[in-house]
This record gives sequence, C-alpha cells and structure tokens, in this order.
Amino acid sequence: MSHHFIRFDNVKYTYPDGSEALKGVSFTITHGERVALLGLNGSGKSTLILHTNGLLLPTSGKVNIGGIPITEKTAPTVRKSVGMVFQNPDDMLFMPTVYDDVAFGPRNMNLPEDEVEKRVTEALDAVGLAGLEKKSAFQLSGGQKRSAAIASVLSMEPDILVLDEPTANLDLLARHNLIKLLDSFHHTILVATHDLEMATALCSRSILLKEGRIIADGPTGEVIENFNVF
Amino acid sequence: MEAIEKTYRQIVYEKGDSGFISAPSMLVVTLLFIIAVLSVPVQEPQKIIWFAVYPIIASEITSIGFGKVFIKSLWIIPFIALIGIFNPIIDTRTAFRVGNVGVSCGWVSFTSIILRGLLSFQAVLILVMTTGFLDMFNSMRRLGCPAVLTTQLLLTYRYIAVIMEEALTMKRARTARGYGKKKYPLVLWGRLVGQLLVRSMQRATRIHKAMCARGFNGTMPTGNSLSWNGRAFLWLAVWITVIIALRFIDFSDFITNYAI
Repeated sequence: MSHHFIRFDNVKYTYPDGSEALKGVSFTITHGERVALLGLNGSGKSTLILHTNGLLLPTSGKVNIGGIPITEKTAPTVRKSVGMVFQNPDDMLFMPTVYDDVAFGPRNMNLPEDEVEKRVTEALDAVGLAGLEKKSAFQLSGGQKRSAAIASVLSMEPDILVLDEPTANLDLLARHNLIKLLDSFHHTILVATHDLEMATALCSRSILLKEGRIIADGPTGEVIENFNVF
Repeated sequence: MEAIEKTYRQIVYEKGDSGFISAPSMLVVTLLFIIAVLSVPVQEPQKIIWFAVYPIIASEITSIGFGKVFIKSLWIIPFIALIGIFNPIIDTRTAFRVGNVGVSCGWVSFTSIILRGLLSFQAVLILVMTTGFLDMFNSMRRLGCPAVLTTQLLLTYRYIAVIMEEALTMKRARTARGYGKKKYPLVLWGRLVGQLLVRSMQRATRIHKAMCARGFNGTMPTGNSLSWNGRAFLWLAVWITVIIALRFIDFSDFITNYAI
C-alpha cells in the first residue's frame, strides 16, 4: 500500500497574465503521510493544491500521483483517487439537496444507485450529518457546510485528501470538530492552511511556501519554530 | 433589489414535493397539456378557457392551491402581451358583435395568446412546484431528452442562484455603507451589473472546478429513484383522457346547444 503518494518534480506554473505562481516546486508525500502546506496569501498554496488533481497542469515540470503522471488525459483517473475540498464549501455544494451533492461524485463514477446510497450514508455518518440528507445546502451552518463538502469527497472513497483552508470561517467548536474528524482519517492528507494550531495537531510534516518556492520542509514543530511562517 | 432577495429566498428555500405524483408522470401530462393548449386555433379562445380545469384541479390535488399558482403566473402576462400586442392593430376584421360594439379578430387572437401563455405557464409552475428541478430534469432525460439540453437547463437553474447570491452580497455591502441612501443612480447600476458579471463568472469558474474535481464530464449524473407507481399511471390516464376531450370537444358549443 505505498502507492498513495504525491510527487512534484520541479513544477512551475505561470498564470495567463504572466504572474509566476510556482517557481520550481519539488517534494514527495508518501502513503499515509499528513502534510501541512503553509505560507502567506499569494504564496502559491492554492495553485499548488489545484495541481494535485489536474485542475491546473504545470507550465513545466511533472506532477505524479500514485505512479500516474498528471496530464489532460489522465486527470479524470487521478481525480478518482484525489479528493479535493475547496476553500469555500459553497463552491462545492451546487445540487438541490445534501444527498445529491454527496452523491454527485459516485454518480459520476457510474456506480449503481444502491452503492451510491451506501456511500452517501457512510460519508454523511462519518462527518456527523446523518439525517440532513434532504436539506438544501443553503440551509446548513458554516460548519455543517464544510462537513458536507468533506462528505461529498469522502463518498468517492479517495486515497488522498487535499484540503484548501478547511478551518477558514469556522467558529472554535466547528474548527475543533473538524480537526477531530480529519484526525480520524487514515488517508494521505495534504492541507493548505494558515491555521498553525491545526497544522500542529494534525500534520507531522509541513512545507512552507514563499513566493512560489519551498523555503522549508520538515517536521511541523521545527518549521514553525525556525521559520517566520507568518 | 428587494425583489432579488425575495426571489432568491423562493428559489433556495421553496422546494417541490415530489412525493405525491412521480415526476415522469407530471412531466408527460404537462407536455401534453401545453401541446394541446397551443394547438387550439387562436380564433377560438372559448375552447382554451376550458383547459383551466387542469391547473385548477392539479394545483388543488397537489396541495399547492390554485390561488398561489394564479398569482405567480401573473408575472408572465407582460411578456405574453408583448407577443400579441400588435394583433388588435393589424387584424381589424370584425369577429363578432356584442350589442353594437364590434370585437375585432385581432382582440380575439390577443385574448387567445394571453390565455395560452397563462395556462401553459401555470402548468409548468405546477410541474416545478410538485417535482422540483432535479427530478424534472431527470425525467426529461429518461424520456429521451438529450443530456446536453437537460444539463444546460440544470446548470442555468443553478447559476441563477449563484448570480442572485452575488447580487445579494453586493446589495448588502452597498446598503451597509449607503448611510440610508436607498436609490441606485444609473451610473451605479452600470458598475454593479459589470461587477456582478465578473463576480458571477469567477464564482462559476470555481464551481466548475469543484465539479470537475468530482468527476464531472459534461453531463449531470442522475439517480434512478424516479419510479412509475399505480398513482402515477392513474394520473396519466385520467389527464390524457381529459386533455384529449378538451382539445377535440367544444364544451362551450355543447353547453350552448344543451341549454337551448
């Protein structure tokens, strides 16, 4: 079971307006590892995250997920094993009910409807939203929306979880519950965050980005202690 | 702007109850109804009036209430009126007389157009209010409607809510810093609409990325929970019979002759 890895090899990415977001990023995250991606706003965290399942393709360099190099052709396959939770849960919840949102991924995988139902039930149970299946996502609280967004990814049974600012806009209780929830997972996890407490509680390793370059990569405690993270 | 807030709340929080009649059955009846209503010649509005039986009975049976449907349907009248507004001017032939006053064919066809539009819109409202958009689109797909069309419709529905959310956020931001000013000058409207377009496109792009991340390949997935039960077949059979009867029997003529 060592195939759930993420490997970036000298990845560079330049946006169409010419701004260089990633300037040669290289790292490997091995199976089961939990890694925090730290850095200021505009350091390239979200751009990097979007490379992990082919939503952005490198201008140069290579991204390899579990042995599959990401290209336009392989991106749909990779997306089955990389579950991505976006910064704003409202962007992920676009179906009429929570059930339909959580079922969106499995249905796209053309699974039979009884399997879809099983996965939706399990995912909602895992995030503590059982019983809210028929609710519209708009009627959920901020914390519940975040949980629903995570459930919508868990239902695809991904090997790797990638989260962008998961604790943003959450109150203390919701944040605590989310950290506890993420801590119960056994996935390979890459989480972009400003929340150093969460990084410390959840991730043994941290990568610090600055202006599109990795300036530190090591145990979370050391990275936070030795580098001026923020 | 208050209208946006109200409409947004309706779109987001008022959902159809798909429990009573299955969506495919409602969809088939609605389509048949619209085809039948539109196929009645424009010079025979007395035939069209009888089709009101469907929205009245269907809305009452499904517990929506015809009053609610009727009031909502009034919004469509200005748009329908635009279609037939020139008929009374162009077609001045006399259709019939009421006492000494001649009613022109143009006014008769104009009335027909209003009735057709109003009744068709009421039928669609009942469909949406009883089945919900997702079930309706699933039914359309299952009845052979191309996936590209149903996906477009579903996404349009979704993005209406997105645009409204953005408009609402902008409205609240403006109100919070408006110091009591309620009017929106024309220049501000222009800026707001431009901002709204850009913000909505950015938001739509993020939603699209989130969809792609979960395997979206251009076609919205459907569940298979739409079933035909005995009630659905009964609904279909009764309304097909009624609609065909309304289309081919002139009840006004029948009643006039019977009364005489």
